[in-house]
Amino acid sequence: MNRVEATRVIVQLAGDAPIVASLGHPAYDLFAAGDRPQNFYTWGSMGLASSIGLGLALARPDVRVIVLDGDGSLLMNLGSLATIGLLHPANLVVVVMDNQEYATTGGQPTPTAHGADLEAAARAMGISASATVRTEDELRRAMESTRLIVAKVKESAPTAKPPLDCVFIKQRFMAAIGNPEMATQGESL
Amino acid sequence: MTTTTITTMTTPAWAVGVSTGVHSAGSRDVVYVPDNPLSHVLRVFEQQFRDVRLYLATREEEAFGIAAGLYLGGRRPTVMLQSSGLGNSLNAVTSLLMPYQIPVLMVVSMRGDSGDWNAAQMPMGRAVRGIFESLGVPHTTVESATQACETVRCAGKTAFGTRTSLACLLPRKVTTGS
Repeated sequence: MNRVEATRVIVQLAGDAPIVASLGHPAYDLFAAGDRPQNFYTWGSMGLASSIGLGLALARPDVRVIVLDGDGSLLMNLGSLATIGLLHPANLVVVVMDNQEYATTGGQPTPTAHGADLEAAARAMGISASATVRTEDELRRAMESTRLIVAKVKESAPTAKPPLDCVFIKQRFMAAIGNPEMATQGESL
Repeated sequence: MTTTTITTMTTPAWAVGVSTGVHSAGSRDVVYVPDNPLSHVLRVFEQQFRDVRLYLATREEEAFGIAAGLYLGGRRPTVMLQSSGLGNSLNAVTSLLMPYQIPVLMVVSMRGDSGDWNAAQMPMGRAVRGIFESLGVPHTTVESATQACETVRCAGKTAFGTRTSLACLLPRKVTTGS
């Protein structure tokens, strides 16, 4: 399976659940697979998608939170696995799109191309419900109960980019998940 | 019982002020990377503000990511860090908090300012205010223990009211008495 195919599976299974996407190709593919207000597209802060998702999951235990990360991105913030392992929110699922390369910057191989094992790292940090998947069926099954999924994907050229307006992304997202930031009425004097 | 009493009695006034200020600003979520003076603030939260949730992060940049997620989920997050960790967090501040207008109240325990003894802390300590100014992140300084509560409360009020991340600096002369 390639990354956009895997992303489509996740959007299909997400329902109304918020999805936090890492910058670059994961965010581009999320937009292409299905733009929706519950998508939070990051345009920077490489490595922090899982941290943002963790904070959201802690704030909203009533909501299932999905993170779309990349292998290169997660490697930039491996400490996040330890924090997620420590706090183990039951409503957070992190999907690492592992294409074994920094695709957004020109395809330089990541350490996962040479054997670095992100599922093993997650287990070692206390996220025991971790799995590596290679097909859409395996991904569907893993999405039922796994907390960290390493999806081995082929690189696929993105075909679209999400909105560029960061504040628009945020306000649309917050309104969609029930934390509206925009004031709906003035204050009485 | 005796231990608890002693601990409470030795809690410094500035730390009570900082925690009360954070709480008064409506923040109930504190993400932190450990620091010696800030351990007093953490203890006040644990003892006097049981409704505040404390989250340990492995690194300052991660702390800001978690805080951003908390805000998206409707919370008013505070991040507590040592000034030496500011350098670890700049990409999160500049490419997440600022463009998305996500407010975080930053409580920064100073290293490398007057009274420090560690040469490795000095360059960043000297640079902290200049970094915040060049980024356009407003910052304010707690000048004394008696002003701690009001300084932090006002910073939080402005941060969450205007959706601007804002830093509150805690000098060593206040936190360590040096």
